[in-house]
Amino acid sequence: MRKKRSISIFCCLFMLFLSACGNSGTKNERADREDKDSIVCYVGHGFFESSLDPVKGGFSYGWSFINNALLKVQSDSTYAGDLAESYSISEDALTYTFILKEGISFHDGSEFTAEDVVFTYETVKENQGKNEKVDLSRMISIKAVDDRTVKITLDAPYSPFLDMTAQLGIVPRSGYDSESFNELPVGTGAWKAVQYDAEQQLIVEANENYFDGVPSIKKVTFVNMDNEAAFSNARSGQLDVVMVQPNYAKEQIPGMHVEKLETMDVRNISLPCLPLRTVETPDGKKVRAGNNVTADAAVREALNIGIDRKNIIENAFNGVGVPAYGFTDNLEWGNAPEITDCRRKDAEALLETAGWKDTDGDGIREKGELKCSFEVYTPSDEQDRYQLAAALAEDARKLGIEISVKQTTWDEITKAAYQSGVVWGFGQFSPMVIHQLFSSETFLTAQYSNTPGYENAQADALIKEAIESDRHDKAVEKWREVQEIFAQENPYLYLVNIEHCYFVSDRVDISVSTQVPHPHGHGIPIICNMKDWSLK
Amino acid sequence: MKKCNTRTRVMIYIGFASVYLLGIFFWGLFMPESGYDVNYADKLLPPGSGHLFGTDFMGRDMLMRSVKGISVSLLTAALAAGISSVIALAFGVTAAVFGGRLDSFVNWCVDLFMGIPHLVLLILISFMLGRGAKGVTAAVAFTHWPELTRVVRAEVISVRSSQYVRAAYKMGKSRFSVAWGHVIPHVLPVYLVGVILLFPHAVMHEASITFLGFGLPAEEPAIGVILSESMKYIAMGKWWLMLFPGLMLLLAVMLFDIIGENLKRLWNPDSGNE
Repeated sequence: MRKKRSISIFCCLFMLFLSACGNSGTKNERADREDKDSIVCYVGHGFFESSLDPVKGGFSYGWSFINNALLKVQSDSTYAGDLAESYSISEDALTYTFILKEGISFHDGSEFTAEDVVFTYETVKENQGKNEKVDLSRMISIKAVDDRTVKITLDAPYSPFLDMTAQLGIVPRSGYDSESFNELPVGTGAWKAVQYDAEQQLIVEANENYFDGVPSIKKVTFVNMDNEAAFSNARSGQLDVVMVQPNYAKEQIPGMHVEKLETMDVRNISLPCLPLRTVETPDGKKVRAGNNVTADAAVREALNIGIDRKNIIENAFNGVGVPAYGFTDNLEWGNAPEITDCRRKDAEALLETAGWKDTDGDGIREKGELKCSFEVYTPSDEQDRYQLAAALAEDARKLGIEISVKQTTWDEITKAAYQSGVVWGFGQFSPMVIHQLFSSETFLTAQYSNTPGYENAQADALIKEAIESDRHDKAVEKWREVQEIFAQENPYLYLVNIEHCYFVSDRVDISVSTQVPHPHGHGIPIICNMKDWSLK
Repeated sequence: MKKCNTRTRVMIYIGFASVYLLGIFFWGLFMPESGYDVNYADKLLPPGSGHLFGTDFMGRDMLMRSVKGISVSLLTAALAAGISSVIALAFGVTAAVFGGRLDSFVNWCVDLFMGIPHLVLLILISFMLGRGAKGVTAAVAFTHWPELTRVVRAEVISVRSSQYVRAAYKMGKSRFSVAWGHVIPHVLPVYLVGVILLFPHAVMHEASITFLGFGLPAEEPAIGVILSESMKYIAMGKWWLMLFPGLMLLLAVMLFDIIGENLKRLWNPDSGNE
């Protein structure tokens, strides 16, 4: 029995070894494939994890795929009309009026009218519990003034409402079916969903009547598999576009090249701003929150200016990614402070002044009994965040700050987040992320929100003003202003604006110039401009 | 070459195996953390003179990590073997000596534990105790006793009903002196071999639940962690990350098996003559 087990283990190992060696040296089949106007892509599991129905939050990226929304996000992250020709906001910021484009029809042939918009918005509003991506709770009514005009009324001024109109794809009133739309939604978009095999593949075909230019590629198949299997399949020439983790970026696949695409996704580490104490949550539970080391603003500032972000990115991500100091500039409202890092001397002086000195000669500073040391948590299913934190820990050690990196589940991280650092990833069009991460309201009340316990009355007021502002540009101005306050206090240590890596077949042109900066979630965002792709 | 008898050969096997296992165990136990320090300059080096087993994606020496990992596994296994064997001895002896309801209760417990797939039970216990070193050690320690309990119980029952034990009672020996003079010497070899043979199970189980993500945290140099990390690099052709740690685990398990089997031959001369 025992012997048998040992032998079987050995066989497994041996087979794995063989398969590892066998990958190299396969011939390139890509060129031999017959289908000249179709491609096969692997963009992660996103299509197969949740419903594709826009009503249930499917495809709320801000750009169109199968369905179009009223507005869309452009390459420079500003909004433009998609199904809407134009829009206007009333002076009291309560009424949004959209004038719709004419002559658009759904994939099933029915005409697109204002009634479809009303139907979509009302269905989402009624089933808000099923859609966590598009929040219409502020909307009190939506009316079709005529076939081409839609009027939406809010209960209070709420500037992020515009983001919602870009994220909610419109479904047809006549053909909507809550069941079948989970897999094969019908829309007005450039792509028609034609086949969906659960956990296996999604096939889309070009919409020959698309109002904004017919795609040149006629059929795209999205397959579902492991990252590693996808890489192997790419090597054997079966895939045209393959998402890969940054540690694969230095690999070579004949007939393919690596594309590193711009994102708005930043990795930051929360640094608790409160001294350790017991606090009570709104539902009466007592939790320990705060951290005596990171509560010292000097420690946070020293990390911010003293670490070498370039080197950290080199070590953790093979150099894939751009140093980040705040939310990215490719967002309309992003306003990262201008910081020069690698200033180790300045950082050390800052720590010395604040009383952090290495008295026992172990390379780690102390202040009295307190060691300058804290923990940073990373999710165990994301190796790249662990590598980032480990690389940071190596760098911070040079400043005399000890960071011990832990890997665990999100459940555990959520518990530890109030007393320790956590490597977060944030990238989205909506500036509401600022409210989520920095508003004192969200501390202890919402998950993944303001875990450092940051509180600043001036910032809270500015956030409120931004949310309630009646004009989009005014709101953007406030959002930009409030970030200057955060830059003084560093509740989050920004490290890197990641880049999404894909292997792309040399026969496919993914039109890099019209790519929209990718939001959080490596994988699907590469298809944001798929209608512009072409085959060589 | 001079032909050596079975006893000598067995001793040589046992000697070599023990030296190797103890060596790895203490090497890992007293290894400073600097032994497998991060060194980004040496990322993913193939096996060579500087790094016998190569390096991983953070430039850590794989030989050192593997040794440390096996050592951690051995430590867990030692605890597991210790605790499980004490439970097994207590349960087995009481069941056999007292019989009746107590016996059925022990049997019921054994059946209960053996009825649940072992890996599932391990995951449940480890998960319940919050994973980490504590969870995995407790899980491995408290689930390896049923087989040994059965063996001990059967042995005690067979000794108890044998002629010489009955004779001893007739001669007026006390229960204690019978237990000490007759039962324990008879059960001990089987028991010790059972304990040794617990080790490979425990080592494998610790590695498996860690591999599946329910055991030691990923920042520890545990063999399960090393193997699950290496899975991500197989497609890139970094075979050494998996091969050497895997072989070391295999070797450790097989050596325990060899020690156990050979001790059986040594302590149970009948089987030596088979």
